[in-house]
Formats: sequence, structure tokens, C-alpha cells
Amino acid sequence: MHAVFRPPVNWRHRRFRYRLVVWRCQNCGAVHHYATSICRRCRSNRVAEDKLPDRARLITYTVVKNPPVAFEKQAPYIVGLVEFEDGTRLVAGITDCDLEELKPGIELERVVRKIAEDGESGLIVYGYKFRPAITRGRYTPGG
Amino acid sequence: MTAGYISLNVRNHQYAGRVAVILAEAVAENPVRCCQSTVVDYRFNTFIRVGAIGDELSRLSGVAVHGYGAYIPMFRIKASEIARIWGVPDSELPVLEKSVNSLDEDTVTIAAEAASYAIARAGIDPDRIGAVYVGSESHPYAVKPTGTIVADVLGVNSKLLSADLEFACKAGTEAVELVSGLVASGMIEYGLAIGADTAQGRPRDALEYTAAAGGVALLIGRSGEGAIADLEYAASYVTDTPDFWRRNHERYPMHGSRFTGAPAYFHHIISAAKMVLDDGYSFDEFDYVVFHQPNTKFPYAAAKMLGIPAKKVEPGVVCNVIGNTYAASSMMGLAKVLDQSKPGERILMVSYGSGAGSDAFVFRVREGIQEKRGRAPLVSELIERRRYIDYALYLKARGKIRE
Ligand SMILES: [Zn+2]
Repeated sequence: MHAVFRPPVNWRHRRFRYRLVVWRCQNCGAVHHYATSICRRCRSNRVAEDKLPDRARLITYTVVKNPPVAFEKQAPYIVGLVEFEDGTRLVAGITDCDLEELKPGIELERVVRKIAEDGESGLIVYGYKFRPAITRGRYTPGG
Repeated sequence: MTAGYISLNVRNHQYAGRVAVILAEAVAENPVRCCQSTVVDYRFNTFIRVGAIGDELSRLSGVAVHGYGAYIPMFRIKASEIARIWGVPDSELPVLEKSVNSLDEDTVTIAAEAASYAIARAGIDPDRIGAVYVGSESHPYAVKPTGTIVADVLGVNSKLLSADLEFACKAGTEAVELVSGLVASGMIEYGLAIGADTAQGRPRDALEYTAAAGGVALLIGRSGEGAIADLEYAASYVTDTPDFWRRNHERYPMHGSRFTGAPAYFHHIISAAKMVLDDGYSFDEFDYVVFHQPNTKFPYAAAKMLGIPAKKVEPGVVCNVIGNTYAASSMMGLAKVLDQSKPGERILMVSYGSGAGSDAFVFRVREGIQEKRGRAPLVSELIERRRYIDYALYLKARGKIRE
């Protein structure tokens, strides 16, 4: 059977997907989603581990009705562009909400959800999504 | 019989497997009365039974809940909506409504969110957690642990004990027993015991009205400053009773209908509750009593049989509005009670898992509850956050639409 998700790639990105841990270049600011000692953009070796915040604001979104392979089960689903306090932007799934709620600028919080499933026998991929904040900033859902 | 002797015996059986040795050592060091909890090794069972000789041994000392967290998915389906499909009169329904996981939720995500709230309440660094046990009857993988994914999501250090437990609706409280033993023995500083499920009921089956989704996590550590509740006592009662089962590769469980009552639920709940009495407690000492809740009727009926007033049961009843969250069911009742309890109060919790067995626990609420309660959502807030779906969306959410 053809595997959509190769285990090594999936595994290498898990800290980013589970907890938004990133490796940020101290020279040019580029953000990497996996541990690396050299910046892929500027070749600087000044790359440090960092963590993106657990809260963000919604910039815009779209609804995916014709999903790619392995994402079919959740369709239709919402993909949004979110922005953190420091200006970093991220494309993320948006969950647990109605479209009417999704006004630009609303506060979102990170949760960890099922992102995709490689058929009935392949890997289940978990990772960050955002939902309208319900926890009033008291803590971080999903770790 | 001393704990040291038991521990020595266990060490002489290294071949029994690392898990068996670790669990048996931990339980023997500060014995929880615990019969065969999970599939480990026959030697494990032997040693636990040895450790359970003598009434005093079920009294735990120095173990406490430092954090608790509940999570309930936001979708609900009314029992009357399910009944509409099958032509069943509303008067015969076991609950009002039940929670349904969304398309992107499963036991891993539910366990992780509940555990993140337990950690938030405890206010500790996740690196101090030495064990993550997840009990469920709906682990997403048949082979590949739920616990390792949950631990990584939470950012727990990899120097960790982790295993998935299975014992129908008592898989979560089984985790509580094991983590308590590990903490009591000093093998770990803190441990997470999680019960989480996205339970399956076959369309038209009686279970379809109640099989729900939810999770609860307890963060357990040594007693002391900041503790939410001391865990004073733990006991377990199990027999081979075939009231409910699911064979390998089957999508839905089978059950023995009326057989799930007297010889199953009631026999085990009552036997475990009586062990608490045999060990010196009286029901008058408990301010709250929480039983496993497969439907709204059973916990009240068990209380009546034991002569416990219904008003002690009522504060912990959640089944009427979220259904039976299986491995999380009795722990959800406990979480709801902790949400409203005061320092000094005592809580009796008795779980039930088909197949069959009950775990009984006595908790004594401590000062820490006051400060920590507000750090994560209350069960009542999670119940309020709800959105109703119809039967068609329910079928989609539960993966029952198949090509
Ligand atoms: Zn760079």
C-alpha cells in the first residue's frame, strides 16, 4: 500500500506540530519546523530553539471542500491564516466553530487535533489547530 | 508480611518482564489493594495478591491529587433524536443527551487536552512527570501506544513510564491505581492517570443512546503543600463476568443486555464499596459518592442498595447530559465533585469496568483545591459549551458512513 505520510518526516516535525516548537535563525529570522543547526535561507549557523505562542488572532480563512488525499474524512474543513503577537504568521486548521464566528481579529487558542489519516491502516497525524478561545487565557489546551 | 520481603521476591524474578517488575515493586512497597489490574504477567498478579494480605494495606499514605482536568467535546446529540430514527418512545431513554467527538478528535486528543488542564491546575513543570498511563476502550491504534503521543504533545521528558491500559469503563481508574503505587514507592515524583474514550455503540443498539466521548486526567504526586485531595484508600474487586466485550477487529461491542445489571454492575460496585467498609470506613464519612454512570438510573440504584442517600450521589452525576464517557465516566463524576467540594470533605469513588471489576477510592479534599480549581475549565463549563447535531451529522462524526 502506498503510504501518504512517511514516518521519518512525520516524526521529525512532531515537536513543531504538537507544541509549535520552532528553530529560528538569529541572523535573518527564518523559522524552521524541525531541528537544524544551519539556516536554510541564509546559511547562518546561529539557529536557536524557540516556541510560538499558544494564542493568535485570525487574519483570514477558507473552507476546503475538495480535500487532498488523507484529509478527506474531515471535509469540509476550515484552514486559516493566523498571526501571533510578534507578527509571525502561520497557516493552521481552525476547529470547533461555526463560520459566523470567524470574524477577522478574533482570539484563537491552540489545541492538538487529528490532522489527517493515511487510510485505515497508515499513520494518524496529530498536530496543532486553533479554535476560538474558550479558556480565558488561564492555561494552554493541548500542552 | 512486610513490603521488603515482597520486593525482594520480585527482584528475584527479573525475567518476569520489566513492566511486571516495576509495577509489582511499586505496589508492594506501599501496597494498594489491587487484584489483577491489567495484562502483565501471572507473577505480577501473584505478588499483588501477596501485598494485599492484611486490612491495613489498602490504606494509602502520602499520595495526593495535585491536578485534575476534564475535557468534553462540544457536540451533543439528544437521545430523542436517536430515538426518532428507531421509533423508540422518549419515555424509555436512558439519558437526555450525549457528547460526540468532532471529526478531528479521538482518544489521543481528548486525553491530551484533559491532561493539559491537570498540569495547568497543578502548576508543575511537565518534566517532573514520570509516568503517563492512558486507559481507554478506543485507543486509536491497535498497536502503538496512546500514552507516548500524549506525553510528547504535553512536552513531558522522555525519561518516562508509559503504557496503555484496557479494562472497559474502568481502564482510567486502573491508571489511578498504578500511578498511585509508583508515587507511593518513590519511583516517580508525579504521574498522569488518564481515562479517555470515544465510545462506539452499534446503530439501534441500546448503547447508541449513551456511548459518549470525553476524558479526565489526574496528576498524582506526594501529599503535601498545594495538594488538591489526598488519596487515602484504594481497593479493587474483579471477577470473570462476560457482560460486555469486543473481539479483535470488530467495530462494535457485544453485551449481555439485562445481564449487565445485577451480576455485573451492581455486584462489583457493591462488593468494592463493601471493601471500603470492611477496612474501617463508614458511609457517613463521605460527603460525596461517585459511581460509574452507564446510565442515569444505575448510580442512584446502587446507592439505594447500599443505604447511601441520593443527595450524596447527585453532585457527581454527569451521565444525563453527556452520556457514558466509558473510561472517563466515574472520573468525570469525581472532577465535577472536586469542582464544588471544600477542604476536609471526603469523596468515595467506585468505578466499574465490564469483564468485570470495580476500583474503589477514598479522596480527602485539601486546601489546594481553593487556589487550583479556577486554573482550568470546570465540568459545568464544558457541559455548557455544546452544539447540537442531528443523526446524519452524528453518523459522519462517528465514521459510520462507509463507502
Ligand atoms: Zn537565516
